[in-house]
Amino acid sequence: MAEEQKQAQAPEAPRGEGGGPRREGGREGGGRREGGPGGGGPGGPRRGKRQYFRKKKVCKFCVEKMDLIDYKRADILSQFVQERGKILPRRMTGVCARHQRWLGVAIKRARNIALLPFAGSAAGSTAPKAVEAHKS
Amino acid sequence: MEERLYDLIFIARPATPEDEIKKVIHSIEHACTEKGGKIEKSEHWGTRKLAYRVAKHREGMYYYHQIRTGHGELIAELERRLHVQDSVIKYLTIRLDEDLKRQKKLGEKREKRAARRPRRPAAAATPAQPAEQQQASAS
Repeated sequence: MAEEQKQAQAPEAPRGEGGGPRREGGREGGGRREGGPGGGGPGGPRRGKRQYFRKKKVCKFCVEKMDLIDYKRADILSQFVQERGKILPRRMTGVCARHQRWLGVAIKRARNIALLPFAGSAAGSTAPKAVEAHKS
Repeated sequence: MEERLYDLIFIARPATPEDEIKKVIHSIEHACTEKGGKIEKSEHWGTRKLAYRVAKHREGMYYYHQIRTGHGELIAELERRLHVQDSVIKYLTIRLDEDLKRQKKLGEKREKRAARRPRRPAAAATPAQPAEQQQASAS
């Protein structure tokens, strides 16, 4: 459904196409996927949204050869959750299966000691403020 | 019996007087010596913002201990003590030794593999450099 709508919008305004990937990027909430909207040049604008070049993602933990994901490092873990605390899927972050498994455990441990938010709970006092900012 | 390694974190209310904290830490130490445990690390992380509200507080003081013990009852005793304390709003104990064992095993495996099959470009690069130096010194 959403894809149909996007395609329908595309011919009306050519900018809509650029808006697509950017909005996706925003939804990731601090995920480390970059280079999504880049490289739109050579493909030509007529081919729809598939033409941008997607960089191949590599598992960050494999690159750094980490054999243990520490649940105390909230700064690392927060790169792999959304703002509200949802664990990002592997297809977005590029983490390998083994590390994603450990990552999940580490994130859940960090949640237990209030280093990371649970997915359901509001992200402290920041969320209501953001809503107010939108209204004004 | 095999000794196990645990992480013990507790969060105290943001405005707890220092005496109170000392009392809590002292009681942890006391329990450890009584039941045959050893505190390996002891850290104070300072006042941090909590990711969600705990007992109506938005921030708390984090205290971290690493404890090695062969007796599981010690952990039960520590948790009981922390539960009773009014100034402690949250605590967590996690068994670490199995994860560390796995980490060690994987690290050894990786080293072994690296030793068995050294990388070609790295091997080629290392003898090349001294050879160049020799040439330079000869000329």
